[in-house]
Amino acid sequence: MAIAAQVERFVAMGTRVELHVFGGAFADALGAARRAIERVDDALTIHRPSPTTAVNDDLLAGRSAAIDDPVLIEALIAIQDVHTLTEGLFDPAADRRFGRAGWGDVVVDRGAARISALKPLALDFGGFGKGFALDRAGAVLREAGVASACLSAGESSIAVVGEHPLGGGWPFAIPHPTLGGAVLVEFALIDEALSISTTVGAGTHAPERAAMIRPSDGAIVTAARCAVAVDRSGGRAEALSTALLVAEDDRACRLLARAPTRRFLYDLSQEAAPTVDVARMHAA
Amino acid sequence: MTDKDFDLTRRSFLDRVLAATAGAGMAAAAPWAASAAGADPVKTNPVRLGVIGTGDRGRTLIQNIAKTRNCTVVSICDTYAPNVAKARQWVGPPTRIFADHRAMLDAGGIDAVVIATPLNLHARHSFDAFDAGLHVWCEKAMARTIADCGAMVTRSKTANKVLQIGHQRMFHPTYLNALKRARAGEIGSLTQIRASWHRNNAWRRTVPADATDRQINWRLYRDSSAGLMTELATHQLQVGNWFFDAPPTRVIGSGSICFWKDGREVYDHVALIYEYAGGRKLIYTSLLNNARYGCEEQIQGSKGTIEPELGRIYQEVPAKVLALQRMQKDVARGHKRTVPIGGATWFPELPVTTPGESLGWGEYDETMLQFEGFAEAVRAGKPPPGLLRQAYQASVASLLGEQAMDRGEAMTWPTNLVAI
Repeated sequence: MAIAAQVERFVAMGTRVELHVFGGAFADALGAARRAIERVDDALTIHRPSPTTAVNDDLLAGRSAAIDDPVLIEALIAIQDVHTLTEGLFDPAADRRFGRAGWGDVVVDRGAARISALKPLALDFGGFGKGFALDRAGAVLREAGVASACLSAGESSIAVVGEHPLGGGWPFAIPHPTLGGAVLVEFALIDEALSISTTVGAGTHAPERAAMIRPSDGAIVTAARCAVAVDRSGGRAEALSTALLVAEDDRACRLLARAPTRRFLYDLSQEAAPTVDVARMHAA
Repeated sequence: MTDKDFDLTRRSFLDRVLAATAGAGMAAAAPWAASAAGADPVKTNPVRLGVIGTGDRGRTLIQNIAKTRNCTVVSICDTYAPNVAKARQWVGPPTRIFADHRAMLDAGGIDAVVIATPLNLHARHSFDAFDAGLHVWCEKAMARTIADCGAMVTRSKTANKVLQIGHQRMFHPTYLNALKRARAGEIGSLTQIRASWHRNNAWRRTVPADATDRQINWRLYRDSSAGLMTELATHQLQVGNWFFDAPPTRVIGSGSICFWKDGREVYDHVALIYEYAGGRKLIYTSLLNNARYGCEEQIQGSKGTIEPELGRIYQEVPAKVLALQRMQKDVARGHKRTVPIGGATWFPELPVTTPGESLGWGEYDETMLQFEGFAEAVRAGKPPPGLLRQAYQASVASLLGEQAMDRGEAMTWPTNLVAI
């Protein structure tokens, strides 16, 4: 018997979002999942007035700010976790305009729902927002009883709910960003999220695209690299792929070693020549 | 360009028109274009044209006609001698020259006339041509009054002669392709068109010592023109009617002489709203002191926007992710396959400022095709299907807009128009 899919397509987080749910009638759940993503977009965007831009206004002016939006509070708590997880390499407060300011200068008071900073700075959640949004949408679908779903935000952020509709993991391949037909890595996901970050390939040279900054020295990362991270949490996967992309060799090695089958980093400047870990490199 | 290169260019252009007019719905939406592009006219015994009015526009038309397969200019006429003198370089020595159009008509030897005179003369020149047993190609807009527009239609029917008006966008492959994609539902339900024609110049020509201002700058005076409405807006109102597949039901507007206070009588700034059935609207502006937004029609639907002058189509929701589409189909047929994700299909993760997809530009001048279509209609003695209705309604819409602005009140679509 054929397994039908229900699909929701829309624009959010500055990209195209697709939610594919398999088996059963889940129209209401799909709508709720979409609203969950749009809710995150509304809370975290810096491209139009939002709770985040309101906070940024205060932080840039050297003031502390009350955080009224529950989604933003949740995101800030998650950021604290991934900042530690990535040894500070994922830093939504790193910005060349503000010298060495970063997340280490931010103080989040969870109990009082307030945020302040030791230096003027501004928050930009970047790709983390997409993973965070997919996490929330996935939670909505699971709660509604969905057993099999694939969620995509701009193709570089994927999350799956449960197993593939035909059983087993969801098989994904990451094509080489510039070499047609070449594949970097293949794996199967179950109840996991996937994030791909790269400095090369389609869209990376668009004028509006923010530069990748290494928080430790404020340098713009220009090396041809591609990082892939898989994690139970979309937000963590996003933070990890960003961190791997900007990491110096020693820190990249440490991050990769903690999850050798779930984190990958490719040096694409010399093709097929791995940056730090030969064992997990697939010929490109 | 060699003749062979030109033929290739022409063929390519016609192929684009034929491709754009093929398919369900397009036969009814633009029958004239498919008919003209598919005619493959023979070069022998070209249709002999007499051109009345050899000012700037008339001379441009003469040059275009010279590139057609089935038309030839055999007579030219203008009351202003320097215009005729300038036109001589574009016609062969056998071409007869006249200062009076009646003399040209009386002299015979022509099958049809091309009228490129001031707007207020279109009707009279058309009537005289029909009376002389000739077919008429006339510049847009049709006439200075709605009554004269109707009279031109009536006289052409009575005389059983072709009357064609120069709204060349109806032969342009980009517009035809845009219409095809709109009719196919690619931009959803059309509810609004924003059209503008903005320029930054006085629209005033230098008057030679041997001429009068009203003779040279006839577009600036009310007895001879409705200004921006009949010289520019009529093109875009035709596009609006075409895409909405109906004439408007009502128009409101405001016009003013806002910037060029130089004695002109026609508005240099117009803003109008044309209402169509179902609450749809065409919002139109034209002005002469700011060119930033130029000439464009933004055809807005629930799923996307088409901007034909730019040749772009924009989708409200980006295209589907092909890999996920394939995965969905695989699952439906019980097949599990690896899903390639990311890589070369990475989408720029940016606010929706996408540049849009090209609709494709035509390099060949659509004016040539409309003349070839006209010539074939003359040869057949039958007007191109559907074309005159478009022109008539566009001309009426432009003049009705002028009335709405002059009176400061909403004008409803006339119920006494001539049936076509």
